[in-house]
Amino acid sequence: MQGRLSAWLAKHGLVHRSLGFDYQGIETLQIKPGDWHSIAVILYVYGYNYLCSQCAYDVAPGGLLASVYHLTRIAYGIDQPEEVCIKVFAPRWNPRILSVFWVWKSADFQERKSYDMLGIFYDNHPHLKRILMPESWIGWPLRKDYIAPNFYEKQDAH
Amino acid sequence: LSSLCPLLYGTNCCFIEFASIIGSQFDFDHYGLVPRSSTRQADLILTVGTVTMKMAPSLVRLYEQMSESKYVVAMGACTITGGMFSIDSYTIVRGVDKLIPIDVYLPGCPPKSEAGSWCFTINHKFYIGRSTHTRNYDRELLNQPPSTLTSEIPLEIFFKYNKSSESSPELVN
Repeated sequence: MQGRLSAWLAKHGLVHRSLGFDYQGIETLQIKPGDWHSIAVILYVYGYNYLCSQCAYDVAPGGLLASVYHLTRIAYGIDQPEEVCIKVFAPRWNPRILSVFWVWKSADFQERKSYDMLGIFYDNHPHLKRILMPESWIGWPLRKDYIAPNFYEKQDAH
Repeated sequence: LSSLCPLLYGTNCCFIEFASIIGSQFDFDHYGLVPRSSTRQADLILTVGTVTMKMAPSLVRLYEQMSESKYVVAMGACTITGGMFSIDSYTIVRGVDKLIPIDVYLPGCPPKSEAGSWCFTINHKFYIGRSTHTRNYDRELLNQPPSTLTSEIPLEIFFKYNKSSESSPELVN
């Protein structure tokens, strides 16, 4: 069975893929990184005015990098707001996704963290720099093919 | 003995324990310790909580900003040897004694609040017996006033402090 948002997007001819429903019943859609700039604004206008969380993960070593957006609608008097989860997959050789900072402000620090940990470059982000690791760190720590640097520690000398 | 003023500093979970020492059950204040927010007014820094490589320069800066006759108590396993993060973490500093000289090591994860207040009572002898550190930043200074260093000497002293130990070699250990 297809979700409501998926049916609506299909009716308006917007390319997406429905990834089913997760365990909480939230419908999950996949959007291409090339279309994300228009679909983000379309979703904002549709009603989803709150980005609950933006996270990212590494799908497979040598595979794609996923950027996940959980959207919901906040308004006065709403009890069970509808939620949707959007996944944007970026290839490893060109991990560039458009930043949705200009649509939902809460993406600021969250996209910086996804950049810091996985190396996904968010275009048009106002200040995209490392937030958790030191500024001069090289490498993307949460990638599945990351090798932690082996610092010489005095405690390991024995 | 004048009262110590510890710096209100804490990074990680041990800070909750430090905060409970400040609270009313394990009273900080009746030992005379008043937590200060400004480094210039503090003379004790309890390094509380894990120190990452990103935090390390800030911690050294806080230590250097404290005025003379300062004491450091390393509270918690993370500041002594890196604690539970010492095996696998690639960004934490294993032991704050790599950054600043430490006077007292207080083990525990986190150390109980009674241990925290115990450490102030039991170590008062150390505090009275010491005189001030002298920092000799100027290489040309030949006559050094005598100074006694702390009872527990850390393994690695930050390079600046090595200058003072070079120029007065008979005082080390």
